[in-house]
Amino acid sequence: MPVGKEEVEKFIVDEVSMLIGDASSQISTATPLIGANRAVDSADLVVLLLAVEDYARDNLGFQWDWTSDSAMSEARSVLRSIGSLAEHLVNQQAR
Amino acid sequence: MDTVIVTGASRGLGNHVAMSLHERGYRVIGVSRSSKGDTPFEVRAADVADAASMSKALGDLKRDKSVYALINAAGIASMNLVITTPPETVTKIINTNLIGTILACQLVAPALIRRGGGRIINFSTLGVPLAIKGEAIYIASKAGVEAFSRTFAREMSPHGVTVNTIAPGPIDTALIEKVPRDKIDAVVSRQIIERQAEPSDVWNIVSLLLSPESSMISGETIHVGGA
Repeated sequence: MPVGKEEVEKFIVDEVSMLIGDASSQISTATPLIGANRAVDSADLVVLLLAVEDYARDNLGFQWDWTSDSAMSEARSVLRSIGSLAEHLVNQQAR
Repeated sequence: MDTVIVTGASRGLGNHVAMSLHERGYRVIGVSRSSKGDTPFEVRAADVADAASMSKALGDLKRDKSVYALINAAGIASMNLVITTPPETVTKIINTNLIGTILACQLVAPALIRRGGGRIINFSTLGVPLAIKGEAIYIASKAGVEAFSRTFAREMSPHGVTVNTIAPGPIDTALIEKVPRDKIDAVVSRQIIERQAEPSDVWNIVSLLLSPESSMISGETIHVGGA
């Protein structure tokens, strides 16, 4: 049974909260992962990507390839927010 | 047992380093074009310049926390003037030396990050600072390796992974077997230490960079013999 978007979002929100070490922070699906207002620095972003890769393999059933020419584009990247990343993963799962 | 991945492990400096690692108890995974041959360590066949080939050969190591280091020793050279070098040779040299190094780093870095630290050692040449005539394409590829390594070192630093480059002068391996003696002597005479280095001189630097004592060395290019 496919994993729902809300569940994927919760996983990413929890991971980001853990990475920045602030449980009280206002992490939401709108939180950017790249760009000027990003919630994580580049080192934590790499750790997040590895965690998401594991999550995709173990829970969504596919090998996630995070490489993309638009990875750092605030306009087009799937990493522009937690919500966009979750949506991307759910869409990948459906394929 | 720590695992070290060595590209270009079938011959030359890569083979010397791989053998030295094996003798010291490391688990060595060599990468070379052919997995055939008589080596005491595991060899996986791959074309370092081909992303799919490298992913197939090393993809299973992404989550292997025994992986401690990557040594990119695969390399090719062609003594030739720029205007007489065939375009396909230019592409081959850049793809093997520079693109191959980048692809291997991309594949192995996740394992080192998951482990919480490790070492990446790339290979350049004294030709970069000495600007040796007749080696422009090779030197360009290695200058790229140096710039890539220095910048990649910044990305890997937060994860406890150091990235360094070793730049030897001419060493008696297959890479320079067709280079005339007087050319080799001319390069050696431009080194700070005017002695042709041995493979063991390179191994000594590899050994230092693999050691815990080198944890504050990253983004550096170490010139063997000085330049």
